[in-house]
Order: sequence, then C-alpha cells, then structure tokens
Amino acid sequence: MRREEMESEMNAELRFHMEARAEDLVQGGMARGEATRRARLEFGGLENAKEQCREARGVSLLESFTQDLRYGARTLRKSPGFTLIAVLTLALGIGANTAIFSLVDGILLRPLPYAKPEQLVGIKGTFPRGAFAAMREQLRSMDVATYSEDHQFNLTGYGEPVRLAGTMTSAELLSLLGARPELGRVFYPGEDTAGQDNYVILSHVLWQKRFGGAADIIGRPIELEGVSRQVVGVMPADFRFPSAKTQLWVPLHIDPRSAAAYWGGDFMPVIGRLRAGANVAKADAEVRLFQSRVSKMFPWPMPATWNADISVLPLHNGMVAEVRGRFLMLLGAVALVLLIACANVANLTLSRAATREKEIAIRSALGAGRRRITTQLLTESVLLAAFGGLLGLLFAEAGLWLLKATLPPDTPRLMDVQLDWRVLVFTGALSILTGFFFGLAPALQSSRVAPTESLKSGGRGVSASVSQRLRSTLVVGEVAFAVMLVLSAGLLIRSFWALSHKNPGFRAEHLMTARITPNESYCSDVARCVAFYGSVLRQAQGASGFTDVALVNTLPLDGRFAKRNMTMEGHLVAAGGNMPLLWLNVVTPDYFRVMSIAILAGRDFTSADERGDAVAVVTAATARRFWPNQDAVGKHVRLQGDKNWHTIVGVIRDVQAYDLQTTTPSWMEGTIYVPYNAGATLEDGTIPAEMTIVMRTTADEEQAGSILQRIVSGLNQEVPVSEVKTMQHVVSEAASTPASTTVMFGAFAGLALVLGTIGIYGVLAFLVSKRTREIGIRIALGARQRDVLWLVMKEGTGYSFAGIGLGLAGAIAVTRLLSSELYGISATDAVTYVTVICAMVVVSLLACYVPTRRAMRVDPLIALRQE
Amino acid sequence: MDKQVDLLQGTLDMLILKAVSLGPLHGYGVLLRIQQISKDRLEIQQGSLYPALYRLEHQGWIASEWGESENNRRAKYYRLTSAGKRRLQTETEKWNRMAEVIAGILGTKREEV
Repeated sequence: MRREEMESEMNAELRFHMEARAEDLVQGGMARGEATRRARLEFGGLENAKEQCREARGVSLLESFTQDLRYGARTLRKSPGFTLIAVLTLALGIGANTAIFSLVDGILLRPLPYAKPEQLVGIKGTFPRGAFAAMREQLRSMDVATYSEDHQFNLTGYGEPVRLAGTMTSAELLSLLGARPELGRVFYPGEDTAGQDNYVILSHVLWQKRFGGAADIIGRPIELEGVSRQVVGVMPADFRFPSAKTQLWVPLHIDPRSAAAYWGGDFMPVIGRLRAGANVAKADAEVRLFQSRVSKMFPWPMPATWNADISVLPLHNGMVAEVRGRFLMLLGAVALVLLIACANVANLTLSRAATREKEIAIRSALGAGRRRITTQLLTESVLLAAFGGLLGLLFAEAGLWLLKATLPPDTPRLMDVQLDWRVLVFTGALSILTGFFFGLAPALQSSRVAPTESLKSGGRGVSASVSQRLRSTLVVGEVAFAVMLVLSAGLLIRSFWALSHKNPGFRAEHLMTARITPNESYCSDVARCVAFYGSVLRQAQGASGFTDVALVNTLPLDGRFAKRNMTMEGHLVAAGGNMPLLWLNVVTPDYFRVMSIAILAGRDFTSADERGDAVAVVTAATARRFWPNQDAVGKHVRLQGDKNWHTIVGVIRDVQAYDLQTTTPSWMEGTIYVPYNAGATLEDGTIPAEMTIVMRTTADEEQAGSILQRIVSGLNQEVPVSEVKTMQHVVSEAASTPASTTVMFGAFAGLALVLGTIGIYGVLAFLVSKRTREIGIRIALGARQRDVLWLVMKEGTGYSFAGIGLGLAGAIAVTRLLSSELYGISATDAVTYVTVICAMVVVSLLACYVPTRRAMRVDPLIALRQE
Repeated sequence: MDKQVDLLQGTLDMLILKAVSLGPLHGYGVLLRIQQISKDRLEIQQGSLYPALYRLEHQGWIASEWGESENNRRAKYYRLTSAGKRRLQTETEKWNRMAEVIAGILGTKREEV
C-alpha cells in the first residue's frame, strides 16, 4: 500500500515538473507540442531518475526484495523445464545433506538427553563388580555407576514365556543420569546388594506390551528367570540407556562373598557424574591412580594390559567415538554431492543467462544499476534453492527413514534422530547459502553485460567467452568431485565384496538357528539340563523338515562369546602369570558336520564322548599357537578349577566367529570346543543353560520357530525359544556396519555420477547449440563429419579428462581417510582405480555422444538461415 | 550569458539546501531558484535533482508537504528543517574554508614560495 502511494506521489511530482517546464516554454513562445517534447528531453532518463529516487528514499530494500521475488517467480514459471531440473537437482543435494546432518546432529552434536549432561563422564576401561564397588567408595571427584547390558531374562507367568533383554545396573545408575521414572521410582542406594535386590524397573514399551499399561503394576511381583522380582518403576519411552534394546533394568547383584563373580564375571563400563569443583582432568588423574591400586586388590594376579589405557572423557565422546569418524566421512561425501549439484545448477543458470542477455540489457538500459540486476538474479537463485530446500525436506524425510533402516540397529542414539527445528534451521540456512553459492558467479557474470553491445548483437551473447571459461571450470570441478566419490564408493564396494566372500570357516546356507533359554536355575541340576537338551535334539531331529541338528553355546558372529582360563599342556604358567584365556565352545556331536566346519586332523566328536573320557577339539590357529610344529591331537588341556584333563582329539579349521575378519577378540588366545556334558563348565562352574540350536532345514523362520517352540514347550512349559533366524541372517547382521557405509557411499556416488554426466552433457549441448551457425559454415566450407566430431569431442573429453585427473589427485589425498573402513585392500587399490577411471571415461564419452551427434547432423542450409 | 559550468560533485545538495532556506519551494521551483541566483551560469541535470531531493528528505534535512502551486495545481513543497539549517551552516563554512584555501593556493606567486 505504502509503496504504491509513494510511487504515485513520485509520478505526480515528476509530471508536475514536466508540465511546469513545458508551460514555461510555451510562455516563452514555443508551440505546445514542441514544448512538451523539449521538457522531456531536458529532463533526461525518466525511468533512471525514478529508480534513483527509489534508491534515495532508502526504504527500497525490502520493497525491491519483494519485487525481485515476484519477478523471479514469474521468470521461473516461464521456463518450467529449467526450473524443474534445477529444483530437482538442488533438492537431491539439499535433501541428502539434510538427512545426513540430522544423523550427525542427533548423534554427534546434540547433548545427551540427561540432566546436566556436561557433568557426565565415561571411564575408558571395564571393571568387575568388586573393582566398581571399590571405585564407588574411593573416588572423590565423581559419583559413579556401572551397568551390564545384554542380559536375557525369561518372563514367565504372563502368557507364553518370553525372552527379554535387560540391563543390570548398580543402584545409582538411573538417579545418576537424572532420569525420572514415568511411574513408581528408580532404585535406592543399596538395592544392588545381593539379597536385597529382587526389584525390577520396566521400560515403557514392555509395560505397555506385556502388562497392558496397568497402573497398578508398581509393587506387583513378576517372575524373571525363575526369580520373583517386585516392579518398582516404569521408565518413560524416551529413556534409552544404555541402548534402545533394553526392556528392563534389574539391580546388579553385588556379592563380595563370591570371589569368582565379584572379581571375575562381567567386566563392565563405568560412567560418572563429576562432583562440584571437579573437572575431567582431575577425575582422569584420580582414576589413573585408582587403577594402579585396584589391580592389587584382586585375589589373583591381573595382567598389566587390563585397562592399560584407562582415562576419563565426557560421556558423549565415549558413546559415539566409534561412529564419529564414519559419520563425518559421510557428511564430507554428501557435501561433495551438494557441490556437484551447485555446479550443475550454476551451469544451467549461466546457459540461461546467455539467452537472457537481451532482457538484462533492456533492464539496464531502462536504468537498473548493476547492483540491482545482480541482486535480482541472486534473488532468483535463492528462490530456486528455497524450492529445492522444500522439496529436499521431503527427500530428507524419506532418506532418513532409509538411513535408519540401513544403519546397524546398535548405532548409539539412532532412535533419537529426527527432523526437528534444528534440522529445519540447518536446511533453511543451507538452501540460502546454496542459492548464493551457485547464483553469485552467474549473477555477476550476467550483470556485466554492456547494453548497447548486447542489443546490437541481437541477443547472441557477447560475454560468451568469459562465461564459457567459468562454465568449463565448473564442469571440470564437478567431474573431479564425482570421480572422488565414485572412487571412494568403489573402494568400499570392493572391500565389502572381499569381506562377504571371505570364507568364514563354516557354510551358512540352509541353516536355521534359534536360542533356547531355560532359566539358569533349571541347569543347576546338570543331569536335568543335559537330559532336557538331549530330548530337544532327539525330537527336533525327528521333526519333519529338520535334518542335521546340533547345539552350541555361542554361535559364530551372533555377538556372544564365553571365555575360560585354562592350562595348556607344555605351557607352564610362571608364578604371578596368567593362564591363557580361550573361547570355550560347548557343542553337541554333530555340530561340525551341521556347520560344515572342516576337520583338519584327528576326529569329530561322537556320541560316546558325551559320557567317556573328557575330550576337546581346537582350531588350527590355536593348535599352531600352543604346539607349533607338533601334533595337537593327543595333547591335554585343563579348564581352570577342574581336576581332570581334556584330551584333544581333533583340530578344525579356523572359524571367523568374533567378526567376519577375526576368530576371537584380541585378548583371547584361542578357541576350544568341548562336548555338552557335565564336564563342560563355564567360569562360574555351571554348565551353559542357554544354547543355540542349529539345523539344516527348508522351513522358514516362522515355521521353524513354531515347530521348535512346540517341541520345547512339550518338554518344559517355561522355556522360551527366541532369535529364530537363518545363519545367513546372522552373517549379514555381522556385516551390517560395512554394508551400511558401502550402501550410503554407493548412493552418493551414484548421485554424483548422474549429476556429473548431466553436467558434461549440459555444457556440450549448450556449446553445440551456440555454435550451430559456425558448424554450419564449417560444413558448408567442406568440413567432414570427422572434423565436426573432433571439434565437439575435443571440448567434451577435454573437460572430462581434466576432471578425472584432478579427481584422481583429490582421491589419493582423501581416500586415506577411508582406510579404517577398508578390509583386505589398501586405499590405493590399483584395480579399483583402473576400473573407476575406465568407467568414468566411458560415462563421459556417453555424455558427449548426444550433443556430438547433433553437431554432426547440422544442416548448413538451416543453420545459416537460423539468424 | 556566461558559459555554463558543470556542478562540482556533491555541491548540488548544498545548493538545494540554500535554495529552500529562502522559502519553501517545489522541485521545479528549486531548479528555477538556483538558476536564477546563479544567473544561469550553472547547468543542473533535471533528472538528478529529484534523487537529490529524496535523499535530503530521507536524511531529514528537508521536509515535504503537498500544497497549491502559483497556478493552482497540486505540487510538493520542500522546506528546510532545523537539522537542515545546521547542516547548511556547517556545509557553508566548510565550503568557504575550502574555497579560501584553494584560492590561496591558486593565487600563490613565485616570489611567495
């Protein structure tokens, strides 16, 4: 309103001036018509003056901005093809960045969702209950809490028995985090002491799903693992510590009277909250000092390697340390994609600017200053980017959903990630920045147009050579970035391929696995437990569809392991030294056959071994380690605390059981197998209660699961069957981290490749259309097809080769960062480099093909008549 | 008539302030007044007069009001504000000092050096 008022006032004022001047001239004797003309002439450029008046008025900033917006929207609407491609390109770039940023923000940047998160620290290292209790008592700089994740509990008495994932915590964990229960209370100090610890806190989901959200759940006893525990609290849905897997929390059960469990057993992480006046450095010093004391408190010598690198660091850093590098790498990759998108759109804008030269020349002739034109063109770019950002948000939403599905589910804080206002602000800022980024160069370029020249040349473009240079720089740059991304993806893909084709030592095909989990207490009667599993095996063997059934306590790659100190024949342990620590597998006779694990020497277990002399089987690496150049078969080992020795009867090939690359954790020295019987004791002296059943079958998970549950329930109503999955599924879960990194890089590289190709194509197509006339003349003058082909290809391949060269140099510098993600190949793997270079050459030739063909088909007659 | 001289950069603002200090004027009136006082020795680009007026008004040195012209037409009249008065004064002093200095320099004779 106000703007229009001012406009009309200005017009009236200027009109008055003209008329008054004309009137004066008429008074001086001039004819009226001539006077009017003369007055206008004397005044000079009217539009120019008006524009200057508007500027002088000073309020024009917002005003000219809305004007620019409107004008920009109108121009964009007039060229829907350009707008569509530009917006789509930008949306892909911005959307991908938004999705990755939301991950980085939710996981790396955002403070932890606990009270005063800056006070929370993590201690690098793991501690048994006894060491933790000492720590809790002695540390002055902080309050501490510990927890042990991945415990399983049978819940019985509420419908079908179910297996629940629980975390055992010291009494102060929840209050230390400052977590408020949704219902009831958290644990009180002292409630983690053995004998006073029959409590449980439920997660919101478990409370809803299993107990129907009953409000009177507090105080009710529930049966967990054969033990009755009183429900004291329910945690809210957004409380996920230590991870989203946890369905319930139970106290840690700290019992100083049982030395094995107090000083052995679980080695757990410890977190702390700094007390007033303490800081991380102070806490760090105190904890280091504590570590030197605590080693001597153990009833047995502790290796110097235990917690050798103990330190205190902010809790958040510790939690995300493992994923930080990978996410920052992804962020870098996705930023490259956006740069490529920007280069593409900048190029499009430049091409369009060439055809808009006349329009801009007219505007500048009518009085628009260079700054005004630049601003207007920039506004147009930012408008484009804003649309790109809006559409990008949709892409990001979908992308984030895909990301969450692709990333390993144990990625810390993954559940916290969402598109919220922080991400929206990021996207908004990124869009505007993007608009400036791709718009600035073309805008400056176009506003440099000299109106007279341009108008004379009929809009054919005079600034062509300068903008051509800019354009080629952009294309070379974007090809280089694309090469870097494709190379990185190539390396990851090759490494992933190598990893997934590495022989894990067993054959996963057609194998179904499931976890059978009687309560611990059920197996305190060893004979009952052995008989139970014997019946399970027999009945499963007879069930239709199941062939070749076996049991194992720790299935390869499923994340579980069992450790056991033992004496190896011929290896005397010096006084104060440690017995070798091995991975103890407890199996039934057919296990090696079912898993297709090759026996290299000696023999397989037989059913006679379940009763006769104690026997064992070791892996090839273990045999080599302890009895190099000797026959391991016939040697003896003794489990710590046992009286009798196990005779080694066979050697099997190594199994990648810990992850796809390694057989055991680095702190274990080998792998041993013993038959499932009374002699197969774990560290705490009991035999394994939970076992994984492995069987060859054609049934799917659901069928197999229900058949198994029927068999098991027929034997014992209270034993649940869980984790029914194929062995191939177990393997692919073990590979989910490299898989997700590879998939994401692959997607970005694919995007980069497509955008880069479009970039080369676009520039060449523009070039050909600009030079149609020249090509026509050349053909008319006798140039052959070959010459025309060369003319265009020279240009196109020039860009691509320069881009590929630059990209290679960049890749060599950058892919070093990938090394930690690569398995079995180096970051400068020649095969990958050569393949990618060849692929890039082929792709860029394809991008040149269409424009080149168009150039070769130029009809000189039509081309020359065009102007 | 003497040959017209081009306006020195920045002096138009000063002239406008002076012109309206003698009484409210519309834009065309400002033009005529300057030409009249200068005895037509100054050439003023008519097109640049209005941006200058708008600028001065934006800076608060002159204020405008719609009124009746001598031949009963609506016209926008500009008058000096008190801020403008001060501004004119300082500008005048500055100009005089400057003119003096320049004149002194240009009038220097060989023996005076």
